[in-house]
Amino acid sequence: MKKYWAIFKIQLLNRMAYAGDLIIQSLTIILFMWIFMQLWKTTYHSTSQDTLNGLTLHDTMWYLMMAETIMLSKPRLSRTIAATVKDGSIAYLLNKPYHFILYQLSIGVGDLAARTLFNLLSGSIIVWILVGPPPDPRGWPLVIVAFMLGWLIDFCLNTLIGLAAFASEEIAAFEWIYSKFLLLLGGVLIPLDFLPPFLRSVSMALPFAYTVYGPARLFVDPTLERFAGLVSMQLIWLLTLGLFTLFVFNKASSRLAINGG
Amino acid sequence: MAVIKVSNLKKVFSSKRKSAGLQGSLRSLIRPEYQLVDAVNDISFEMESGELLGFIGPNGAGKSTTIKILTGILFPSSGDAEVLGYVPWKQRQKLAFHIGTVFGQRPQLWYHLPAIDTFYLFGKIYELEDREVRKRIGFLAEAFEIQEFLETPVRKLSLGQRMRCEVAASFLHSPKLLLLDEPSIGLDVVAKQRIRDTVRQMNELEGVGVLLTSHDAGDIEALCSNVIIINHGKIAYRDKVSNLKRHYLTSKLVEVRYAEQVPAGFHIAGTDTLKVGHYGVKLKFDTLQTPVESVIAELAKSGSLVDVTISDPSLEEVIRVIYGEAAA
Repeated sequence: MKKYWAIFKIQLLNRMAYAGDLIIQSLTIILFMWIFMQLWKTTYHSTSQDTLNGLTLHDTMWYLMMAETIMLSKPRLSRTIAATVKDGSIAYLLNKPYHFILYQLSIGVGDLAARTLFNLLSGSIIVWILVGPPPDPRGWPLVIVAFMLGWLIDFCLNTLIGLAAFASEEIAAFEWIYSKFLLLLGGVLIPLDFLPPFLRSVSMALPFAYTVYGPARLFVDPTLERFAGLVSMQLIWLLTLGLFTLFVFNKASSRLAINGG
Repeated sequence: MAVIKVSNLKKVFSSKRKSAGLQGSLRSLIRPEYQLVDAVNDISFEMESGELLGFIGPNGAGKSTTIKILTGILFPSSGDAEVLGYVPWKQRQKLAFHIGTVFGQRPQLWYHLPAIDTFYLFGKIYELEDREVRKRIGFLAEAFEIQEFLETPVRKLSLGQRMRCEVAASFLHSPKLLLLDEPSIGLDVVAKQRIRDTVRQMNELEGVGVLLTSHDAGDIEALCSNVIIINHGKIAYRDKVSNLKRHYLTSKLVEVRYAEQVPAGFHIAGTDTLKVGHYGVKLKFDTLQTPVESVIAELAKSGSLVDVTISDPSLEEVIRVIYGEAAA
């Protein structure tokens, strides 16, 4: 495992070489949170209620901060993997003694760590100013576990989309569909608590909710019961998608044709 | 002992074909057409331990595909290959511990970080002890004369400096076999020579076998003892480099530019004048009959020289001659 830890560290260093760029990118979340605040303040005001579907304005804003952090911090792995397939550079990643998927995972975590740090900082500052302090810090260790498991599910889905380049060369369409699924059924745009019951049950039966909604909702309601329910579903999805990803990778690499000679 | 054994290796790629224009695109969407390309077509060869083997051929000849099969990246369509006792495509990761690779067109160093960071990363990837890595980096830094810029971000290095770091990195885990794919591409003459010298030095010091692909005959001439010429996926020639030189790399092409106009009736004995311009001439000669020094001396006598370029015949030309002989 030492080699994957070293790959993670070097990618983190690589990202930090342009810390200024990361800081500027993280300013996006400030704009998003300010817009969300205007929208949700008006919504709560118009209903004259403090709580909607079990969430206060404070909960909703911290939920959205976490959901946006997850969404904005995700490295574009599918695009990176697809690019290595398209330009043939996958060949040069395969000739070292490591597993390609674990290599990409280590790179991804390195990217994720750097981006999450800055997004979380910028997002927290603005939301703290807008609605007050964050939820109970005792729940944060649980959120970190759920966040990582959620990211691993996303990693599998992204890798599968990236590997689709073996068959289709261009993956922009898959990527677009996936991001829209995350926006609507994953809880990026709106907490799933606000969806109609039918749509909500559809969302909860799909993996997208466990990458964004699950960890973000746990952040504002960090109970052990919610944690146990979430993590067990995350593990089921992770196992299923993880095995499927390995299967697809093994199939794809055996029929690898390198572009560019 | 043979470190590489290849027999009847074949790799067929299937690539999609599309006629020009919108109609072609639509047709290819409904009924895609595929074309089969024999990238490597039934080649067999062996390479001995510690050998410096040149694998040359024009672009698209199948050199890189063969190297990729030998590193385990590509599965062959048929045939057998063994590298250091491993079947590459079945035991890719095990084999990777014992071979080093440099692909001139694809850097392996991390672009935004100093090369030393990649060296330490490779130390971890190849599962070496930290102490061992430090010692090895010290040795390689000296051998490749890269101490000065080992801590400079790779993006700030010149191409020559970067390639020296690339090749040094591939020696970090003391491989038994080094596969160099076009290591000198885009380099100037001095940088090329430095890379060749250090690779030869490492071969002598550590007995590492080197399989070098290039489309530059000069690389092979300077570095290798044996050569395989591959063209259209087939082996066209396999012999000692000394024989290749004796038979096919005997001519030189010289281009000269003068400060004044070229004198009328310009001719140098023992050379063929290919072109005479107002200020420049281009000629060809056989080094077995006319020594380089005498041609240069004669050229200097004809006027004040501004520029002289001496080059080998192109590989395409050599291959043409080899095929011509085979046909005859």
